[in-house]
Amino acid sequence: MRDDRAAVLGQIRIALQTAHLPAARATLPLRVGTGQGDTVSLTERFRAEVEPLGGMTYVARSDEQAIEIALKVLASAQGKELLAWADDEIPVRGLGAALAAHAYTRLDLAMPEDADARRNKLLELERAAAGVTGAQAGLADTGSLALVSAATRPRLASLLPATHLAFLKTSMLFPDMASFFRAHPDVTRDASNVVFVTGPSRTADIELTLQRGVHGPKFLHVVLCDWL
Amino acid sequence: MSLHSPNVTFHERVEGALRDEILHTALDRATGRFQNLRVTALASLPDAERVRDRARLIRAHTLAHLDTYLEQFAAKVEQAGGQVHFARDANALNEIVLEIARQHKVQSVVKGKSMISEETELNHALQAENLRVVETDLGEYIIQLAGETPSHIIVPAVHKTKEQIGALLHEKISIPYTADPAQMTAAARATLRREFLNADMGISGVNFGVAETGTICLVENEGNGRLTTTAPRVHVALMGIERIVPTLDDLSVMLQVLARSATGQKITVYTNLLTGARRNGEGDGPNELHIVLLDNGRSRVLGTEVAEILYCIRCGACLNACPVYREIGGHAYGSVYPGPVGAVLTPALGGVAQWSDLPQASSLCGACREVCPVRIDIPRMLLVERDEAVRAGKMAWWLRLGLRVYSVTATHPALFRLATTTAGWGTRALGAFGKGWLKRLPPPLNGWTQSRDFPAFAKKSFRAQYRESRHAELIHLDDNAFRE
Ligand code: SF4
Repeated sequence: MRDDRAAVLGQIRIALQTAHLPAARATLPLRVGTGQGDTVSLTERFRAEVEPLGGMTYVARSDEQAIEIALKVLASAQGKELLAWADDEIPVRGLGAALAAHAYTRLDLAMPEDADARRNKLLELERAAAGVTGAQAGLADTGSLALVSAATRPRLASLLPATHLAFLKTSMLFPDMASFFRAHPDVTRDASNVVFVTGPSRTADIELTLQRGVHGPKFLHVVLCDWL
Repeated sequence: MSLHSPNVTFHERVEGALRDEILHTALDRATGRFQNLRVTALASLPDAERVRDRARLIRAHTLAHLDTYLEQFAAKVEQAGGQVHFARDANALNEIVLEIARQHKVQSVVKGKSMISEETELNHALQAENLRVVETDLGEYIIQLAGETPSHIIVPAVHKTKEQIGALLHEKISIPYTADPAQMTAAARATLRREFLNADMGISGVNFGVAETGTICLVENEGNGRLTTTAPRVHVALMGIERIVPTLDDLSVMLQVLARSATGQKITVYTNLLTGARRNGEGDGPNELHIVLLDNGRSRVLGTEVAEILYCIRCGACLNACPVYREIGGHAYGSVYPGPVGAVLTPALGGVAQWSDLPQASSLCGACREVCPVRIDIPRMLLVERDEAVRAGKMAWWLRLGLRVYSVTATHPALFRLATTTAGWGTRALGAFGKGWLKRLPPPLNGWTQSRDFPAFAKKSFRAQYRESRHAELIHLDDNAFRE
């Protein structure tokens, strides 16, 4: 396949001899510290940010409470098939068993290589009523969840179904994105996808009127696991 | 390198836009709303001005070392299993994408918003090879169904009423007619979902590439970007060679100002970081990631006095702030890149000779520079390009007209009174940006305002000014006829 790499880089080097680049410096000055906060204030901030966007938040103080909330949320989703992260990836003990006891089933998310098989697989996953995930972190200043992909953490669980239910340990709340990156400098090395999710999917493309759930989930529920 | 050569003149497009009342009302609403939201969103950012300063430093520094950062970026992407292609121009990019499509026996393509694909007219190239191409951003989808071009960078279908969209969806995707945005959105979701799940290839744009990690960042609200980059087996990401930042920390700075400046959100609903191909046993996501880096004149622009336009992060704030854009809309510019940023970028990439009108489509009020998150000095560069156009013997109709209008108004007392008493955009701009902004203009603009008699007509709206100038032109001709 054609590749103009050498030509383009060569052009750039020539251009840089005459470039007029106001404010350009050889190195960037060190950045002063980013936001701070204790777990309580970060939790409050997170909720205050995501609620106005249409995201629902709940604070759970135990596994039992978290499971109770989960069952209520899922009952509203109308359907028993779920796209879910592996049990180990969700910080609530007993959740998997509780879901099974309430007749919820999980669809297998692994994509086949073959094109047609992949298509059929996606059509099958489309049936799911809700997606159930954990979260690697929360960003308090924007009300965002950080979801990091892995074999046990499929991307489609937070994307295809109309309802997304996520569990976040409050100890995993960071003041902002910069502090999250600082704590996890290698987060993009091992995962093909890191997505920050901030509220339900939305659009204002028709006469600037807000509509939720245009392509991604219409409903976002975040259970903040306070004991973790 | 055309960026879509106009088949009608700038002059005709402006006439058309000024006649279109729906467009005008909708644009006013959209731009007005975004301006207010932007102000509120920036106020929510502690130290917003320092963050903007830092964002500017990051863009300037990156461009000054662009060769190094691009090499680092490409190496990191490849290390993570992604493939990188450099395209010298629009044709090269289209050729590369087509070749990837052929290799993978692609039949259908879903697209997320990508300005680069507009720049290279990729859809035409794909359709010419009988590929099915579907735009998936709701606004872009509506525009595609209607066979039109976007009128606003963030709300592409802002010129269409809900009734028009309802009729369009009824006709094109056979749903019962409705003018209810909720029902239309639900219908579009269902239709496009099938497209996503059936597509062989997803094509997306890129907001930033991170050199230290080989990550591409894509921001969006709908989730169509996520689906485009997750469901199909091949993902092709298109980016300009200038869209690099050095580190993840730098990315976090840019993201603090991007959404705030664009839509007034603190952050978009989805901020996607994609690094290389699916790995470590990951179950879903595409099998292959291809990143195509487009030059198409950017490396040449980098060596000039208007290199600063490459700092742009495409937030659209300068469009919403621009009194000319607010009057004539995006279509009138005739280019993929409208508004103040396009008035500089389009001639820079496509040639001042062909686009000599665009640098004139500004009153140099400075509003674009005030709102730009990376403080790009657009008025300075408009002057550089005007200069270049004049040197090339391409003095635009607008400037010629402007000078003529002045001479006519100044010699016709009634018109002159009208001109000097009408409260126009100039007055509003003064209210918005504080008194005495003319004095605050840096030296080259100073010189400009001193040496031309702008005030006589700059106190009116571009619209009124334009209409009156047409009128004045007629008077002018009549006068001549009378004298003869
Ligand atoms: S020039 Fe500045 S304000 Fe305009 S789109 Fe680019 S970054 Fe935004």
